[in-house]
Amino acid sequence: MLNFDEIFVTRNYFGKPVRRNADTRFVKGEGSYVDDLNMDCVYAGFVRSPHPHAKLGRIDTSKAEALKGVLAVMTGPEVAAVTKPIGSRAITRPTRQHVMATGKVRYVGEPVAIVVANDRYTLEDALDLVEVEYEPLPVVVELDDAMKADAPLIFEEAGTNVLLDDTLTHGDIDGAFRDADLVVKEQFRVQRFSSTPLENWAIIAKYDKGTDSYTVWSNCQQPGRSIVNISGCLGVSSNKLRFIVPDSGGGFGIKLALWPYAVAQCVIARKVDKPVKWIQTRREHLLTGTHTPDCIVDLELALKKDGKVLGLKIQDRQNDGSFVHTAGIYNLIKFATMVGCYNIKATQAHMMSIVSNKAPTVQNRGVGKPVMIFTLERLMTRAANQLGIDPAEMRFRNFVQPEQMPHTTPSGEIYESGNYPETLRTALKNVGYEEFKKQQADLRKEGTYIGIGLSASIEPGTSNLGYYYTSRGTPEYMGNAEGAIVTMDYDGNVSVLLGSVDEGQGHATSVGQVIADMLAFTPDRVTMNTRMDSLMSPFLGHSGCYANRFNDVDMGACIMATKKVRDKVLKLGAHMLKVPESEVTLKDGTVCWKKDTAKAVTYKEVATVAYKQILLLPPGVEPGLKEVAYYKNEIAKLPNKENFNVQMTHSNSVHAVVVEVDTESGMIKFRRYVIVHDCGRHINPGIVDGMAIGSTVHGIGTVLLEEFIYDENGQILTTSFVDYMKPLAVGLPRFELQHLESPCPTSLLGTKAVGEGGAIGSLAAIANAVEDALTPFGVKVTSLPITPEKVMRAIRETKVI
Amino acid sequence: MHTIKVRINGKDYEDEVEPRLLLVHYLRDKVHLTGTHVGCDTGNCGACTVFLNGEAIKSCNMLAVQADGAELTTVEGLAKDGALHPVQEAFLDKFAIQCGYCTPGMMISALALIKSNPNPSEAEIREAIEGNICMCTGYEQIVDAIAHAASLMRQSRSA
Repeated sequence: MLNFDEIFVTRNYFGKPVRRNADTRFVKGEGSYVDDLNMDCVYAGFVRSPHPHAKLGRIDTSKAEALKGVLAVMTGPEVAAVTKPIGSRAITRPTRQHVMATGKVRYVGEPVAIVVANDRYTLEDALDLVEVEYEPLPVVVELDDAMKADAPLIFEEAGTNVLLDDTLTHGDIDGAFRDADLVVKEQFRVQRFSSTPLENWAIIAKYDKGTDSYTVWSNCQQPGRSIVNISGCLGVSSNKLRFIVPDSGGGFGIKLALWPYAVAQCVIARKVDKPVKWIQTRREHLLTGTHTPDCIVDLELALKKDGKVLGLKIQDRQNDGSFVHTAGIYNLIKFATMVGCYNIKATQAHMMSIVSNKAPTVQNRGVGKPVMIFTLERLMTRAANQLGIDPAEMRFRNFVQPEQMPHTTPSGEIYESGNYPETLRTALKNVGYEEFKKQQADLRKEGTYIGIGLSASIEPGTSNLGYYYTSRGTPEYMGNAEGAIVTMDYDGNVSVLLGSVDEGQGHATSVGQVIADMLAFTPDRVTMNTRMDSLMSPFLGHSGCYANRFNDVDMGACIMATKKVRDKVLKLGAHMLKVPESEVTLKDGTVCWKKDTAKAVTYKEVATVAYKQILLLPPGVEPGLKEVAYYKNEIAKLPNKENFNVQMTHSNSVHAVVVEVDTESGMIKFRRYVIVHDCGRHINPGIVDGMAIGSTVHGIGTVLLEEFIYDENGQILTTSFVDYMKPLAVGLPRFELQHLESPCPTSLLGTKAVGEGGAIGSLAAIANAVEDALTPFGVKVTSLPITPEKVMRAIRETKVI
Repeated sequence: MHTIKVRINGKDYEDEVEPRLLLVHYLRDKVHLTGTHVGCDTGNCGACTVFLNGEAIKSCNMLAVQADGAELTTVEGLAKDGALHPVQEAFLDKFAIQCGYCTPGMMISALALIKSNPNPSEAEIREAIEGNICMCTGYEQIVDAIAHAASLMRQSRSA
């Protein structure tokens, strides 16, 4: 692996808060999101099922087709007839599902017909004119009902609603529970929620008759896999599909699985012979396809009297709705995160992915990590209280110690770096933990109820993709990697193409900083086209913006491609200066002689030889200065149930939160919010801070506000931002954020995961603080969200939130 | 169809529009000013905020015909003669953009505040952008950027 010190020639930009000038277009209103592309599109929309479960009868499209301005209507069965079914990733039972409903509908909002019209408004009229006959079937909404022996089946061919049922045991779990002085257990329920990017899903599909090929523009987060999925469903070779991702208005995982809609649009685009644009409405977004699974998690800790945790068992039942592609993924990520920051030697994970008549689920910021850490950190605090040990002390006694790094967990995760005790010590100091306890007692006497909550969490990054298949054999994808092309152009400037995409993380700025320091010039000489285009960009099946992987494999690919360009520039420069290659270096955008730096050639002069005066090249050297590199994280293990690493980098954090609970209204107010975060080295601290805080606010929304609510008939009640509430600027604390820096030894820059951290650590910290505040009332928190209504009911009657 | 006349970012437009056409779709699809965004269907998110006769409004909550005769400023009208407006500089300085989708509406709401209150407190800033949802930043860097913008604008006024 390239040594950190070998990467940089200068250190002028790496680690500094360089302004995101590469994204000035966003403040000028000149971004280019899918709906901004001006290309004479016609508009597509979907007729959606009002029933949660029903046999699909006759679909009469004649009235819609007769409307002036309507170009085509296709039903779900018509689309299914010319496409292949959707593949599943993690579940083990056989299922058959197409990109649109066929035979029956399985959730409210499932698309049953696609309509194309000349404009958005005619389209809306036409959608109302499609008449669909439904024969309602018995409905299964909640987990408890879906698991009953006589429950109606969502996928009859599976023979059960439990599509993944697997138990993974590592270490001596029976021994741990046998030797325990105390077993602490709890059942937790976590709701459906979503990080809801501000830009909804958006897709344009075009068919070109001349080449018999398709082009898709979309705000997809995972182009590498979507190309495989779309071309597979269409039954065409992947070189017949050009895939382009322009600017994207936020992702958070929610845009990883929009590709089934692209398949339907490709089919109808071929029919109408025009570019077909679908801009999802917010109602559609909240109605279908963007949810986390709701889940019931039973967690058990086996403990010694001194607080040492010997073993941990989880039974995880998650309601994956009705989409086979993503079902089961959350279970497996929870399993991989289950020991958190602790040195626990024995684990058992019983994972069940259960289908119902709720909407499809998709990966949401952190996937299973937030719920796993929520349940673990809730139970650690519960256990500490039962043993009479301070919750902070309880964590110190169980942490993996810095001198134990790299640490391998029972199932094979390799924690490569981090100082967990120091992270907690810093947080306790910053929040004033000891003083707080005195203040709390005084305030209680006055009828003011404040509480403090801690959580210590890992924030894993870069998935080793084979994990989806730990339950069923050979994976289609393994490891994780990315590709980059770096070009030095005629003028000696650099342009970069990446297989991945940018969802708002400022990749162009970060890449510009690193390359500027690798080539000893300024970031304004680096241009990065963040608009992935499969015709030009290097990509792999892994390519995309997910799993906190940018700082690892994406950056790795950029560095290795730049290194190749740099090596060639040095070789050409030395040749032009007529000195040995060992005697040249880079300075201020030139190749110069170490002994006299005034003797130099500019990059432009080097490029002139490489591209134009090619007869002056040294013997055996190819013309041009364009290099491609693919970079993979080397620590990925081959998929194996006994010993496997699901994630490859591990950031960590401690959240220490002080809340005040108004026992008259149930409202929760933040008094302090301390975060201590360790994501290794930073490329750009301004960007890192924004993600650490932004992800924490996602967690705050999850704990206090957000929930997709279904009634007992399977109707979803939360389909606008009036009913599905998001955090606003008012009501949030000012965050007290501090960073520690434990460089990652397995990424080129020592950087680690950044994007998900706050969404993982915040849930338990806030819940622990609320429970602490309500200690005088004996209220326990076992579910989310913690709404004022639930707080009041718990104080007055149930004692349980 | 109705004929409407509007002045947008200093330029006059006259167009035939359907009576049901939303102002935001008029701006985006007819005038091709795509900096104004759509993030919800219910007027909650504020991505479509523009100035109409000097007042910040949500252009998804208004019909194009209702804007007949009005003067509008959208995000595209903030920079003058190639120089960024102080609010745009401030958003870049303070890392107040991530995906950029809420940014245009957020900056219009910020300017509406600063116009009436040149030196707003943090609480006043937070209240002023309550009608604008940002999903990425958690608002803190946006709040800092608005305070910074107000400061830059006070400086340029006193200069």
